[in-house]
Amino acid sequence: MPTRLPEAQAAVLEAASTDEQTIDDLADATDLPPETVTGAVYDLAERGFLAIEETTTTDVALTEEGDRYRTEGLPELRLYRAAVAAGADRTPQPLGDVLEAADLEGATVDIALSNYARKDYGSIEAGEISADPDRDPSTDAEAAALEAATEGGIDDDTREALVRRDLLTVEEHTTRSVTLTDAGIDALMEGIDRRDGVGQLTPALLTAGDWRDVDFAEYNVEADAETVYGGTIHPLRQTAERVKDVLTGMGFQEMAGPHADSEFWINDCLFMPQDHPARTHWDQFALDVPPATDLPEDLLDRVREAHRNGVGEDGEGYHSPWSEAVARQVDLRGHTTSLSMRYLSGAATDDIDPPARFFSVEKAYRNDTIDATHLLEFFQIEGWVMAEDLSVRDLMGTFTEFYEHFGITDLRFKPTYNPYTEPSFELFGHHPTTGDLIEVGNSGLFRPEVLDPLEVDCDVMAWGLALERLMMLMTGAEDIRDVHGTLVDLAFLRSEEVVY
Amino acid sequence: MPVVEVDPDELRRLTGHTDKTDDDLREDLFALGLEYEGETADGAFELELESDRLDRLSPTGVARSLRYQYGDDRGVYRPSTTAGDWTIEVEDSVPDQRPYVTGAIVRGLDLDQAALDAILQLQEKLHATMGRDRAKGAIGIHDLTMLKGTPLQGQDPEDTVADGPSITYRGIAPDGDRFVPLDSDAELTPEAVLTDHHIGSEYADLVADYDRYPAIYDDVGLFSFPPVVNGRRTEVSTDSRDLFVELTGTDQWTIDRMATILCYALDARGGQIETVAVEYPDRTLDRPDLETRVKHVAHDRIEATLGTTLDTETVIDLLERSGHDAEAIDPDTYAVTVPPYRVDVLHPVDLVDDLGRAYGFNNLVPRYPDIGTVGGRHEPSRHERAVRDRLTGLGFEDLLNFVLTGRNTNFAAMNLDPTDDAYGAHDPATITEPYSQAYELVRTWVLPSVLSVLGNNTHRAYPQDLAEIGVAAHVDTDEPTNVAEHRAVAAVLARHDASYEDARSRLQALARSFDVGLATPATTHPSFIDGRVAAVELEGARVGVIGELHPSVLVGFDLELPVAAFEFDVAALR
Repeated sequence: MPTRLPEAQAAVLEAASTDEQTIDDLADATDLPPETVTGAVYDLAERGFLAIEETTTTDVALTEEGDRYRTEGLPELRLYRAAVAAGADRTPQPLGDVLEAADLEGATVDIALSNYARKDYGSIEAGEISADPDRDPSTDAEAAALEAATEGGIDDDTREALVRRDLLTVEEHTTRSVTLTDAGIDALMEGIDRRDGVGQLTPALLTAGDWRDVDFAEYNVEADAETVYGGTIHPLRQTAERVKDVLTGMGFQEMAGPHADSEFWINDCLFMPQDHPARTHWDQFALDVPPATDLPEDLLDRVREAHRNGVGEDGEGYHSPWSEAVARQVDLRGHTTSLSMRYLSGAATDDIDPPARFFSVEKAYRNDTIDATHLLEFFQIEGWVMAEDLSVRDLMGTFTEFYEHFGITDLRFKPTYNPYTEPSFELFGHHPTTGDLIEVGNSGLFRPEVLDPLEVDCDVMAWGLALERLMMLMTGAEDIRDVHGTLVDLAFLRSEEVVY
Repeated sequence: MPVVEVDPDELRRLTGHTDKTDDDLREDLFALGLEYEGETADGAFELELESDRLDRLSPTGVARSLRYQYGDDRGVYRPSTTAGDWTIEVEDSVPDQRPYVTGAIVRGLDLDQAALDAILQLQEKLHATMGRDRAKGAIGIHDLTMLKGTPLQGQDPEDTVADGPSITYRGIAPDGDRFVPLDSDAELTPEAVLTDHHIGSEYADLVADYDRYPAIYDDVGLFSFPPVVNGRRTEVSTDSRDLFVELTGTDQWTIDRMATILCYALDARGGQIETVAVEYPDRTLDRPDLETRVKHVAHDRIEATLGTTLDTETVIDLLERSGHDAEAIDPDTYAVTVPPYRVDVLHPVDLVDDLGRAYGFNNLVPRYPDIGTVGGRHEPSRHERAVRDRLTGLGFEDLLNFVLTGRNTNFAAMNLDPTDDAYGAHDPATITEPYSQAYELVRTWVLPSVLSVLGNNTHRAYPQDLAEIGVAAHVDTDEPTNVAEHRAVAAVLARHDASYEDARSRLQALARSFDVGLATPATTHPSFIDGRVAAVELEGARVGVIGELHPSVLVGFDLELPVAAFEFDVAALR
């Protein structure tokens, strides 16, 4: 069966032979422009009809300056010879006299002096030149190289030195020689169907109806095309979207609120004693702004009372100092539970009646040591459920449902301690790919000391986890610093698999 | 969370379960909430414990919890105490900042080095936790035989409280006396201890604002400088049989509870606790305080929290296995007696948790709560998603950068000064004690973050069209928090021929998509090239800036090609 080839390729293939030919040879033979021939040669080589051999040759040429020194001698050698003639090989001689004797002037003086020193022909001190009596200028490698340069055969170091001195230029040329392969011969024997076809379907072809009479040129449909990126949503944002989808599907409403907030909402409402180690600047970021205004006064009183004396008949408070000044200090929130407090108190929205479910996926700020899994900022998934009666079983059921959406199954509940929940559980689940048991969150039922001041008289269970942790589990990312922040690699963003 | 070192052999001895392997112990400890973190060079377990159970900061405390878990012990245990005759006299001169003291005597100990080390470890762990690094409470342990007390009546004929020996807690001038501190041969004043002694300099901050320094005296003289360092004279060794424990602090309850935990540990080492009288000018306390407390727990609260039914006997059994005494005072209420070392029990709900742990929370069967609620996202969240979708549709790569940044990136690198009349120029909300200069303030605008990403990716293929929607903020005393926060959209087009028009066309597309009127009146801005910068006006409000970035800004971010950009408050698209 004849091989179908575009005109240019057919011409090149027919001009080619088993003897080596250059692109230029083929361009002459086919009367085609060399760039067209080059393209055709590569296309034919791709199909195995031609073989291309590339050889690189190096052209070495003297610059104008190099050529001058070849005839006049290198300036440093002229200086040396004049110095020796003046007796500088025995005692130092005035430099000016020697320069004059060597007939050196202008820019050439500096060239002579610097190379004289570089090549250790002697030294120049306090306006006097001395010459090393043991040197023989006739064996100077650079001078010899200048003579021999154009014939090649000089060592690389000397050549480099001369190129640096701008005395030589070195240019590499690649020549391609082309030969016909056995497959090419076979194709020629079987015949060539010379057809260019139509490269591009045009509006003109369509409107004129000529498309009926033309053939369309074949493409190499297997070849890679140009890389395009388009825009993609950041992987962590995609994960957040996925989490929001799951939570809204489970009946959760989204919360919003300030990043910079009073410690009252961040810590005091959560029954965190004011001298708790996590409330020092080692853990949270205090902002240098005036104290927060407009805290609800009655709530402030109730929270203070809970800290000092506890709630309920058998309740006890903390034996820690509590001051309103600390409560009014503005920090970047260390967790988004501050939002839950604002919502549960009715400060963020109307009073909420049970049953209710709320969530947020928002940034929190902690003064952590930065490493592969910790940054100063992270996204916290925060959620809570309010109902007349909630048990640990409801908590387990809710989180089992949530985590299964992310492939984390067989959840374990490890009792733990939080100042604001009791009972409290660290959540452990099996890694979706490695199967290892890993911590995936922290949860619990809010304590009466949290709920009573907020005037919530039913049960509320809550949990939190870092979105980054979930993303790393889902995508296998190993270092959060590569994902979140200005050090992100665009190649990562452009190539990361999407989350859905 | 605190970490405690416990020798597994000691645990076997203290619990009487000599047949337990190391693996058995690790598993039993995990069930208690004590996580095995590793081993010391001597083979002791390093156990991380929950920060509420400070009674487990010693091997004896851990062993006690294990014995309850194994069912070897049930109900409340209280060490027996004998009435002693020692008094701690508190003078009016004690520093106002550290007015409280407590103490106890423990006799008849025979401590080997390991036991002594465990006691000293407990002392340090209590300092680090309840004692808030000694600020709130500090413990001094002394060899009682080295103390010499003068009978009070001999000194003060008016005093009728006690006829026994006493020590005195008082405040003295910084150079008011001398003593030989631990690890030293020299007699030093308290003031000199703070500068010349390795422990003294470590804790000098604690008394920095004291005009008088806390000091404890016996008949011989100054022997303790709380909360900094004890004297060498009364130092405890394995030869010590009788100990005097004193604690000073800023809160009586806290130091009493620290003393309680220490006394339980010394009792478990075979010591006999003996009371001391703490005599304040206006009252006298009998210490240590080993009194139990009673809390009432409702049966229906237990069942509601666990989501299961339990009979009375089971409830009482579970509470006793947790180390409490329990009694059903009516069909729905238990009176629960709580041992004094349980400093974490504040509310009946804490006893429900103890009960649940004894029951085994993981024996409960999960159930999905049978309540119906309607889910949804709030409007700004949906809006932001829509803007982000539109930006990526226009070819922008979505970025996610830090809200915290440095003054240099936010201002200087952008040729911007906080006092300029230009978009992004604001008084920034700064962090009081910044971690580093790279994270010292909340960014006032988003564009510098996006330019930083461009600067870090000059080796990647162009064009680079990047955008971020993120939080920025500045100081604003009209806000309740004194910080005004907003979300801004910043976008850049980096390419060899980037121009104002490229940015304008994308901005137009955004405005069109959200049906808001756009105008771009000429303006000046120090980050942009004069004559190629405009204000972004949406629906007549000036909300941002658009233009070609100034070459000096580009060079500062290591960029070698032009960048057109815009930024505006994303809420203006609503």
